[in-house]
Amino acid sequence: MPVPPRPVDATLHGVVDYTAGTALMTFLPRLLGVRGTRTARQMRAAGAAHVGYSTLTDYPLGIAKVIPYQAHLAIDAVGAVAVAALPFLTGQWREGRRQWLPHVALALFELGSLAMTDPTGRGDYHGDVEAVRVANTEDPHRKIHDGPPAVAPVAPAAAI
Amino acid sequence: MNRKAAITVNRSLDEVQRLWRSSDWSPDHIDDDKATVTFAVAPGDRGTEIHVELASPGPGGKVGEVVETVVGAGPVAKAKDELRHFKQLVETGEIARSDAAPEGERVGRKLKQRPAQPLAEHELEKAGA
Amino acid sequence: MRANVWSGRNTVQVEEVPDPQILNDRDAIVKITSTAICGSDLHLYDGYVPTMKRGDILGHEFMGEVVDTGRGVENLAVGDRVVVPFPIACGNCWSCRHELYSVCENSNPNAGMAEKMFGHSTAGIFGYSHLTGGYAGGQAEYARVPYADVGPFKIEDDLSDEQVLLLSDVFPTGFFGADLCDIRGGEVIAVFGAGPVGQFAIASAVMLGAERVIAIDQYDYRLQMALKKAGATDAIDFSRDPDVVEQLKELTGGRGPDAVIDAAGMEATHGHGALHAVDRVKQATRMESDRGHALRDAILACRPGGIVSVVGVYGGLIDKFPSGAFMNKGLQLRAGQCHVHKYLRPLYERIRDGQIDPSFVITHSLELGEAPNGYETFKHKQDECVKVVLKP
Repeated sequence: MPVPPRPVDATLHGVVDYTAGTALMTFLPRLLGVRGTRTARQMRAAGAAHVGYSTLTDYPLGIAKVIPYQAHLAIDAVGAVAVAALPFLTGQWREGRRQWLPHVALALFELGSLAMTDPTGRGDYHGDVEAVRVANTEDPHRKIHDGPPAVAPVAPAAAI
Repeated sequence: MNRKAAITVNRSLDEVQRLWRSSDWSPDHIDDDKATVTFAVAPGDRGTEIHVELASPGPGGKVGEVVETVVGAGPVAKAKDELRHFKQLVETGEIARSDAAPEGERVGRKLKQRPAQPLAEHELEKAGA
Repeated sequence: MRANVWSGRNTVQVEEVPDPQILNDRDAIVKITSTAICGSDLHLYDGYVPTMKRGDILGHEFMGEVVDTGRGVENLAVGDRVVVPFPIACGNCWSCRHELYSVCENSNPNAGMAEKMFGHSTAGIFGYSHLTGGYAGGQAEYARVPYADVGPFKIEDDLSDEQVLLLSDVFPTGFFGADLCDIRGGEVIAVFGAGPVGQFAIASAVMLGAERVIAIDQYDYRLQMALKKAGATDAIDFSRDPDVVEQLKELTGGRGPDAVIDAAGMEATHGHGALHAVDRVKQATRMESDRGHALRDAILACRPGGIVSVVGVYGGLIDKFPSGAFMNKGLQLRAGQCHVHKYLRPLYERIRDGQIDPSFVITHSLELGEAPNGYETFKHKQDECVKVVLKP
């Protein structure tokens, strides 16, 4: 049987970006029991960065659409790997599971989400309205508002 | 394992039996299998039912059959294809061909469809057009 | 030849592809003069329909000139001007003989695939995924038309392409929706969705004698078209007030409409906040393939003993079907892909006799090369777009 396309489209990916990013910046550090530690600061920084470049991405939930969507996905991937590696580079992993497990879990979540994201196409309008207006040989506004009705009422006996 | 397939053809019982046995349109896979084929008059004006019950497993044995069925190439699927071809030939005079499946309904084509655009020159011959 | 092909979610491209050839004796080749983009094409575009393959030519609403016929075609001659119905029907099977053309038993060479999804295969359709056969579509310069002795409808009068093109799909589909409502004169009909099919459902209900026809949509320009052109008597804009069921009760003195036509289908956009958000997430994660707001509201709004007629396209499964309301109110649920062949001649005669000018829905007419922009404009309802026609 043919394989369906990957389920997560650009809009849904954006929803996850903002939700996960906000969670990282707010309640997640406390939930994970790492409040006050280096991990908490790293979580918040990662969350802030993620939300930051999401707002700059050219996809339906981006605000200033400067970063191409595929580039965003690449940053997601590289960032995930970096977050996973961080505790091992700083040596904080020796301080206990809570100082490296959240990083690895977060990285796995991010990579999993990427595996389910459809990188082709875009969710938002990427057509050229001006080109369409110029090319259009009809006048939509006049078509809708001017002129007589298109239907003459007929007696029911004329049905099939 | 489900080994039965059936189809209804919009023609009289006599005509269907005669055409089934005629050499032009004999369904190879079902014949090779030594399956049990029965004909019955369908209710009302619906024509004739053809019921096929396949015989024991082929060379691959039971395991081979399960594998084939999972990938959609099982013996019942092949039998169904032949029944469909027979019905199309009898009722319409030709086998339905599309750009994705130019040879008509074929189990092998389910996994390897062409794109839905016209065939190039070199593909036309292979498709038997 | 040039053709508009599917190239991934939200992406179509106009590319050079081989010209179609005669494969069977009953085939014909049509040189296309006009073709349209359908609302159901958007389901393919959005990636909600499985079995699409990169390179598939889209389009199932087309007309043009016959340029070649197979040996088995006697009713058509080279040069004939024809409109081609979107379902491919053999004309010989039990279903076709009983005028149920859109469920032809023979025309789908991927019947095995379709059976897995629906229990049975239905007719092949031009340019509508491999589930319906993987036939190349009509958004191209030429098309191969199977069973050409059954489908193509000859146009012999002096009518423009714009006046007859819509006989291929949307006009008969809208009419079918109204026909299923058993209108005898004096009824109140509600139509969910004021896209092209909804516009024709409204117009058809008017032609068949309904006394009031209520258009329901969230885009004001489409409601304006329904009121000014299609003959709707009332309009409900659910972007202002999402409680459509309540508004329909008010408009009908508490009774509810006598029949409701669902011309919206699986990508129904409205819905009360939370349920809609849940549906959207479920659909995006493919846990639920269809959004059922329009259908749910249609069942809840219809008066007891009434008819719900479904011509909007659905593909899979919806959650939360109001089975209690459906059963206890004694509703009839009728549906189908339109059996276009049955309606071609009667509707053609209505056009020829001046009862209706179907070209009213066409807001955009573009050269084939502009198809990608056309799809985007149509999908996002930009520039007051209702229907896009492409000229190869």
